[in-house]
Amino acid sequence: MKPFDIIIVGGGGAGLYAAMEAMKTNPSLNIAVLSKVYPNRSHTSAAQGGANAALGNTAKDDSVELHIFDTIKGSDYLADQDAAEVLCTEAPKIIRELDNMGTPWSRLDDKTIAQRPFGGAGRPRCCYCADKTGHTILQTLYEQCLKKGVVFFNEYLALNLSVKGSRSKGLIAMDIKTGKIEAFTARTVIFATGGYAKMYWNRSSNALGNTGDGQAIAYRAGIPLKDMEFVQFHPTGLRKSGLLVTEGARGEGGYLVNSLGERFMSRYAPEKMELGPRDLVSRSIETEILQGRGFDSPAGKYIHLDLTHLGADLIRQRLPQIREMSMYFEGVDPIEEPIPVRPTAHYSMGGIDTDNQGRTVMEGVYAAGECACVSVHGANRLGGNSLLDILVFGRIAGHTAAEEARSFEPGNITDAELKEHADEIRSYMQPSGHYERYGALREELGHTLGTNVGIYREASLLRKGIEDIAALRERFKKVRVFDSSDVFNTNLLQVLELRNMLDLSETVAAGAYAREESRGSHTRTDFPTRDDGKWHKHTMATLVDGRLELGEKPVTMGRYELQERTY
Amino acid sequence: MTVTSEQHIEGKRDVTFRVFRLNPQVDSKPYFDDYTIPVERGITVLRALNYIKENIDASVSYRVFCQAGICGSCGMRINGISKLACTTQVWDELPKCREAGIIKIEPLRNLPLLKDLIVDMDPLVGKMKHYRNWVESSMPEPEMGKKEFLVSEEEFSRYDKATDCILCASCVSECSILRANKEYVSPAVLLKSYRMNVDTRDSLHDVRLAELVQDHGVWDCTHCYRCQETCVKNIPIMEAIHGIREDAIECRGLKDSAGAKHAEAFMSDIEKKGKLVEATLPFRTNGVAWTVKNLLPMAVKMIMKRRTPPPPPLVKSSKGMKQFREEFREMTEHVKDDHKTHNK
Ligand SMILES: Cc1cc2nc3c(=O)[nH]c(=O)nc-3n(C[C@H](O)[C@H](O)[C@H](O)COP(=O)(O)OP(=O)(O)OC[C@H]3O[C@@H](n4cnc5c(N)ncnc54)[C@H](O)[C@@H]3O)c2cc1C
Ligand code: SF4
Ligand code: SF4
Ligand code: FES
Repeated sequence: MKPFDIIIVGGGGAGLYAAMEAMKTNPSLNIAVLSKVYPNRSHTSAAQGGANAALGNTAKDDSVELHIFDTIKGSDYLADQDAAEVLCTEAPKIIRELDNMGTPWSRLDDKTIAQRPFGGAGRPRCCYCADKTGHTILQTLYEQCLKKGVVFFNEYLALNLSVKGSRSKGLIAMDIKTGKIEAFTARTVIFATGGYAKMYWNRSSNALGNTGDGQAIAYRAGIPLKDMEFVQFHPTGLRKSGLLVTEGARGEGGYLVNSLGERFMSRYAPEKMELGPRDLVSRSIETEILQGRGFDSPAGKYIHLDLTHLGADLIRQRLPQIREMSMYFEGVDPIEEPIPVRPTAHYSMGGIDTDNQGRTVMEGVYAAGECACVSVHGANRLGGNSLLDILVFGRIAGHTAAEEARSFEPGNITDAELKEHADEIRSYMQPSGHYERYGALREELGHTLGTNVGIYREASLLRKGIEDIAALRERFKKVRVFDSSDVFNTNLLQVLELRNMLDLSETVAAGAYAREESRGSHTRTDFPTRDDGKWHKHTMATLVDGRLELGEKPVTMGRYELQERTY
Repeated sequence: MTVTSEQHIEGKRDVTFRVFRLNPQVDSKPYFDDYTIPVERGITVLRALNYIKENIDASVSYRVFCQAGICGSCGMRINGISKLACTTQVWDELPKCREAGIIKIEPLRNLPLLKDLIVDMDPLVGKMKHYRNWVESSMPEPEMGKKEFLVSEEEFSRYDKATDCILCASCVSECSILRANKEYVSPAVLLKSYRMNVDTRDSLHDVRLAELVQDHGVWDCTHCYRCQETCVKNIPIMEAIHGIREDAIECRGLKDSAGAKHAEAFMSDIEKKGKLVEATLPFRTNGVAWTVKNLLPMAVKMIMKRRTPPPPPLVKSSKGMKQFREEFREMTEHVKDDHKTHNK
């Protein structure tokens, strides 16, 4: 394998922007994107709502300043303020850049980019393309990368960083089409592998591949992960699959109803009712279920999202996607019956710790997008800020890596190293001593996380979660890959992804156990208030000699003082 | 009080999935495996496959990612039609089975097979590159990000639908010309080319168009409508193809258009023999009239509806020639009329 100047792991919004920017910055560099799915299939395609930027097209009095404040307040004051400033300042430029490259934004009458209101934002500043924003952004970036001649290694699974001392020599990956383990020596590696919320399995709105591979690889290489305990739950996921029913359904007037037939939100948010903020509505649903007022089913407990009173016409016209999804995935037509829903793990605020330029502590290793934690979202991300995050910091990471690539020598990855990985993979296929089923482990991991490291957390639950995870990690050593072929062994992929989720879940549970306060998405029933004195800081999870060590890092403050977060 | 969800489940029954298998590492030729599993109403084909993979045979291979009909990974042929497994209900497929209770699952066609239900997407990406399926911005790179282009909602609506495409390749799999000619541009790429060409921010219109009228380009399409009928996002692909053709004639004129000549020869073959003599097509040339090109689509669509001749090189015989010619002439008149009204 020939040496690369930059290897970008991940072809979602963050990875593609990084690739494009690196090509722009220095076209003479040898740059490749490696992705386990064709880039246009990355999870960025699932984002519907839009991306924030204070363009001031819809609301003339909007400003970058307001956007920064909303972001910091939304984060429950855990975001690093310098990073939030970069995010919001770069936003208008990057949205216009996308427009200039062909992103089909929805338009206002005056032909400028349209903007819609979004949760937690003081002005309508969310730029969108109908309800397919992520999809169209991703397509545009993919097209532009094809245009620029970016080299793609599609359907390659990154396995590990090859490390010598304090620096990386490159990446070891598997060609999924052949099963071959290959070396990608590189001066710089950028991780852009997306989030880890799929570890909650059936209680997650994420794509199957959002298994936190990049974070797990970085973690195993000794790079610290930041704020892993912060996992955002969205109130309305479909009961069986966890797939998302967007806020629009409640926006149009949908009711949340418990098994007694009550519109229970009157207890929790009598004024806003179903339109309260995400974390509040999620907690309310969870409380109803915990107190026995949910419905029961083999697929888990749930409540009803009732749209039947809205009438067939409105549902067909304004919520066609939601109707379609309910029918596909629950076998329920919302015109006739209520939709079974429960909160679903949606977004990972935590990730690989980076500075504002995308650098990690390891020389030549960078990270951007949902897999990184800069941190701009702190304890709670605002809708529309994540697409922005992947674009802005994807670009910055690409730029930095291109500028700095020459200062690192590509290392040499030995055949022995490759063989070690190939042997390990082969060992999963051996019948002797390997009998654990991947499906069972994965199911149990999702279940224990949902129950013990879910929306409501508490010391005894978290201890149980930590024990369960440890037991599952032990059982994983006996896991068996039942398909022994080299070509497109999807069973092997599932097992390797599970390993990553198991490694990361430990950091999530440990962070949640340590953080004795309630902040943003992290709610401890035994510590119900925010404790700025003790906990206004980031948690840092580092693997030291095979053991998780939990450290901390101060939050970078700026113009905005700590305040109570009320809406 | 607890209420169970069983009220939603109207049925549970055994269903057999007849799955296409080929692992090139060990098999010299493909075969089918039957898996009979209990399925409840409301389950998708993808979830049935997942069940099979997890409980019966872990080696069954297919692609899946979003499970929500948005990433385009899980395209496969279900009961003979290309669709997304993750949005296809088992219950909806049951009445469509050739053999009662047996749902047939095969890989997409027209792309190289890698294993079981997985086909190679690289040829499609290669064509996207060849036909420059990107906006080549009229804004110079250093100027980018400084100001927005002004785009009317009306212009946006022209390519809005085309940007729904998730590159699942279902249309590619069903395209009748691609079966005969793998070099053919393919419906998804035509759709994308159209989308780029109507975008006023783009500056590459002429170059793209020049490529599209070459051999294997837009003129090879037989207007059989299969791509449009298959599209998992209900995109009017044929509008895009028509759009490119009209654009080509308008911008490039008739003389230049090898494809237009191709089309006329095609027509004459159909009229004479009710089938195509492909080998001779490129050689027979002469001036071309508007009508001919407008006729072609309908003629071919009709042939397809009657399911008589398959795509060109596969043509064997044509039954009911007499009736066909009559219908063809009648249609000629229709199209002429249509065209008159259209031009008003
Ligand atoms: C249902 C849903 C709706 C959303 N809506 C919005 C919204 O409206 N607005 C908003 O701002 N945000 C939204 N988000 C969040 C946002 O979509 C994501 O945070 C963002 O798209 C992540 O982009 P990314 O580039 O970091 O990662 P991804 O798009 O997830 O890309 C990750 C890439 O890494 C690759 N990869 C992963 N592991 C490996 C490996 N081991 N080897 C090789 N490649 C690998 C994958 O193949 C993929 O190409 C939504 C999220 C969900 C789940
Ligand atoms: S109409 Fe044209 S592109 Fe579509 S399937 Fe038929 S031949 Fe292929
Ligand atoms: S045009 Fe339709 S069927 Fe074809 S690839 Fe796109 S979405 Fe799939
Ligand atoms: S899995 Fe994404 S479209 Fe079916």
